[in-house]
Amino acid sequence: MDNLLEIRNLHASVGDKEILKGIDLVIRRGEVHAVMGPNGAGKSTLSAVLTGRPDLVVTQGSILYDGRDLLAMQPEERAWAGIFLSFQYPVEIPGVSITAFMKAAVNARRRASGLEELKPAEFLRLLKEKMAFVGMKPDFASRAVNEGFSGGEKKRNEIFQMAMLDPQFAILDETDSGLDVDALKIVASGVNALRSPEKSAIVITHYKRLLDYIVPDVVHVLKDGRIVKTGDRSLVEQIDRQGYEGLDG
Amino acid sequence: MLPGEALRLTFVKLPGLSVPVETEVLLAQCGCEADVAGLYLCEGDDRFSLKLNLRHEAGECRSRQLFKGMASGNARALFDGRVYVAHGAQKTVALQENHSLLLDAAASVESRPQLEIYADDVECSHGATVGSLDAQQQFYMQSRGIPREEALRLQKISFLSPVLERLPESLVNEVVSRL
Repeated sequence: MDNLLEIRNLHASVGDKEILKGIDLVIRRGEVHAVMGPNGAGKSTLSAVLTGRPDLVVTQGSILYDGRDLLAMQPEERAWAGIFLSFQYPVEIPGVSITAFMKAAVNARRRASGLEELKPAEFLRLLKEKMAFVGMKPDFASRAVNEGFSGGEKKRNEIFQMAMLDPQFAILDETDSGLDVDALKIVASGVNALRSPEKSAIVITHYKRLLDYIVPDVVHVLKDGRIVKTGDRSLVEQIDRQGYEGLDG
Repeated sequence: MLPGEALRLTFVKLPGLSVPVETEVLLAQCGCEADVAGLYLCEGDDRFSLKLNLRHEAGECRSRQLFKGMASGNARALFDGRVYVAHGAQKTVALQENHSLLLDAAASVESRPQLEIYADDVECSHGATVGSLDAQQQFYMQSRGIPREEALRLQKISFLSPVLERLPESLVNEVVSRL
């Protein structure tokens, strides 16, 4: 089966406000899709629905992931199935170290896959390798999750976690916002290193900048809860020149 | 306490115990410090109260209180913390914080912070909060594959961590195993 993700006629609401108004989107294995659009279009809502954030209610439609009914799965089950979200606003967890947090995450996924938990030495080796991969200093492992992190450190921490969990399907929700060019390059190289014929990703962004480094196969424009245009990477250039005005399909 | 002395005291109340605790700390000479903290875990039908009377009788003393409580089931927990600053105990610094996590609708926590101040050149503050577990932290952890129950436990550790940091490792392990 070539399709990793199939979204059909997806409608979703927060409270009584409908945000997604009929999304159809198919992502094949190995593809990177960019989702662009103005503020309030529903981009982050889409990422939240895919990962099962509990305040969102899907009112119509379906999502198949790897042939499974994604909407019937708990957030942690989606992670075990290989879905990863790089949060637009990563959450601080004071008092819980990166090491403890990642150990819980990595081993939970291994248990769910019927694998043994990693031995402490194996886990530390993996941790060090991935920290080096995103250029984190040694004291990073003992810091509390995102507490007191700068904006750039938080985003890099998301990419670090992505590398640790090695997802099959990654969603990057405005991972470029608040990053300087150097941090952007680190993030992009982290993402590019994880590309493979089996893995797919959605890159949500306002700007062309990130897509210069993570080159998408397909580009969608989301406006007012609907995909109004789909094209190849040349669409990014067009948006960069003209903005979102006039892109109503 | 004598001039220049410092007291560092940490209370731990494990779940399954119903006890009233009453303590008085007296700062009777200039330049003393008292750093008092505690955590109380209440579950089932636990009844717990902590009454702390912290008295600044002499000037230029500092006191700090940090108490963290959790209640689930039908448990009831009360923090009754009084800071008394005597007439003439100038340059007193007294800080008090009490934070509670309410884990079930039938549980209850009560916080009664009291400041009684008879000197005019002092710095005193108190803060109390009662909250529940944070839904955003919960989702963040679950999205990383951490099962709901384990995520709840990590959140409790996170909440208690400023007090846990003061304890020896064996006691930290004991507390964490009871969450």
